[in-house]
Amino acid sequence: MAASPSVAALQARFADAILRHEVSCGDTIVYVTPARVHEILAWLRDDAGQLFDYLTDITAVEYRDMERPLEVVWQLRSLSRKADLRLKVELDTAAPLVIDSVFDLWKGADWLEREVFDMFGVSFTGHPDLRRILMWETYSEGFPLRKDFPLRGHFSRAEQTRQALNANPEANYSLEELSIAEAYSELPADMKERLNQGERGGVK
Amino acid sequence: MLQAYIPVLLVVAFVAVNAMLMLGLSHVLSSYRLTPTKLAPYESGMPVLGDARERFSVKFYLVAMLFIVFDIETVFMLPWSAAFNQLTEMRGLLLIEMFVFVAILAIGYFYIWKRGALQWD
Amino acid sequence: MGLTLPEGGAGTEVSAMSPNWVTTRLDSLSNWARSNSLWSMPFGTACCAIEFMASAASRFDIARFGMERMSFSPRQADVLICAGRLPFKLAPVIRKIWDQMPQPKWSISMGACASSGGIFDTYTMVQGIDTIIPVDVYVPGCPPRPEGLIYGIRLLQKKIQGESFLDADLRQEHLLGPDGLFLPARKIDEVSEPFGNSVHQTRSA
Repeated sequence: MAASPSVAALQARFADAILRHEVSCGDTIVYVTPARVHEILAWLRDDAGQLFDYLTDITAVEYRDMERPLEVVWQLRSLSRKADLRLKVELDTAAPLVIDSVFDLWKGADWLEREVFDMFGVSFTGHPDLRRILMWETYSEGFPLRKDFPLRGHFSRAEQTRQALNANPEANYSLEELSIAEAYSELPADMKERLNQGERGGVK
Repeated sequence: MLQAYIPVLLVVAFVAVNAMLMLGLSHVLSSYRLTPTKLAPYESGMPVLGDARERFSVKFYLVAMLFIVFDIETVFMLPWSAAFNQLTEMRGLLLIEMFVFVAILAIGYFYIWKRGALQWD
Repeated sequence: MGLTLPEGGAGTEVSAMSPNWVTTRLDSLSNWARSNSLWSMPFGTACCAIEFMASAASRFDIARFGMERMSFSPRQADVLICAGRLPFKLAPVIRKIWDQMPQPKWSISMGACASSGGIFDTYTMVQGIDTIIPVDVYVPGCPPRPEGLIYGIRLLQKKIQGESFLDADLRQEHLLGPDGLFLPARKIDEVSEPFGNSVHQTRSA
């Protein structure tokens, strides 16, 4: 199957930032350099010939083969042109996993990037509120979907139960999410501290 | 004449005594196993945040008050219509009287309409 | 706390009153009333909740066994039916709801996931809600058929009919211990040991 015409357009525009592309099961996948991914995605969204205005998903892949890098995947769709495109970036697992956030391009990237952070530990620079979303905020066992994370988790079952029972299920709310502003005085101390710090920033 | 009410009062007294007895006995005979979590308000298992006493929007009060006013107006119309039915002369005057009454309240209605008291949002 | 036994072993608590005809008649009356009017707090999380709803619907109809009304407030519920898998994230919620139920209360663990973690021997799932709350009846199945759940409810009714108000240990609140756990840590690890195919899942890639 032929590659999507976006590939040629990308190669014409970004030349050396486009590393390679492949076609798999009818989908076009383009590998790009991590440094320019924000620029490329912005162009893909705004260019008149591309118009990928819908960010379907952001996810990550780690392969069992230790030699292969960790890939961060953006699945794009152009609603007007009814076209799909998949962009991938390869990150070296030995180095810190950091990539640009596309929250300023697509607001939907908010929770998608939080999920990738929670499950793989990839930090997104420029994300307004990068904290865990599927696991509870103070989850300290690690990043579950990495290949070196055992299925049953690192801690013993008793320790997991203890940490789960003592986690505050409402610790994730920011002042905007809390409609009860008068509840500020009743919040636990650690929540107050986080709200005072503006509830922004990464989680360990 | 008041003797007819004695059975009613007896029933009321019986109900009150019965209710107090049931509540009182169950309070005395039961054992309480209170824990701090049990006493906390139920919020679907989440920790309790905030006060239950929230400020209400004033629009509820406005709607209730306006309802009372115009409901009383309607209530006054009912005996008037019964009297109207029975009085066959001076009907014109009676009609104009009621129109004046309604007109006075209509001025008030027009005022609250223009002041935005009928806006819900 | 929890399942720790009193000194001398279970059932060695001596009550001030010895059972006699009057106490057994009173017990029989209160147990009949309690067992035939169990209102459930449906803690339905997953697929078992669908079967639970089917049991409550017209074909299987648990209302004929006294479970007339599902009470979604723990204050008015007698039995907590955990129908479905329980993630660790939901563990403090079910614990709090259990604590907020007034005595007398019982619990039914419906399905394989609530009883033992089921097929989900993973980092997210509680390996059996009995590590968090005391359980009276376990209903196995994935999901159990409505007949299975009804059998479990009938078993609970029989259990209630065997209770006595002279048993001081029976209606005690079993709160979390000072270590923040319901069962001792050793016990939780013991019951959560992998078995069968799970033994291969402790490795990482």
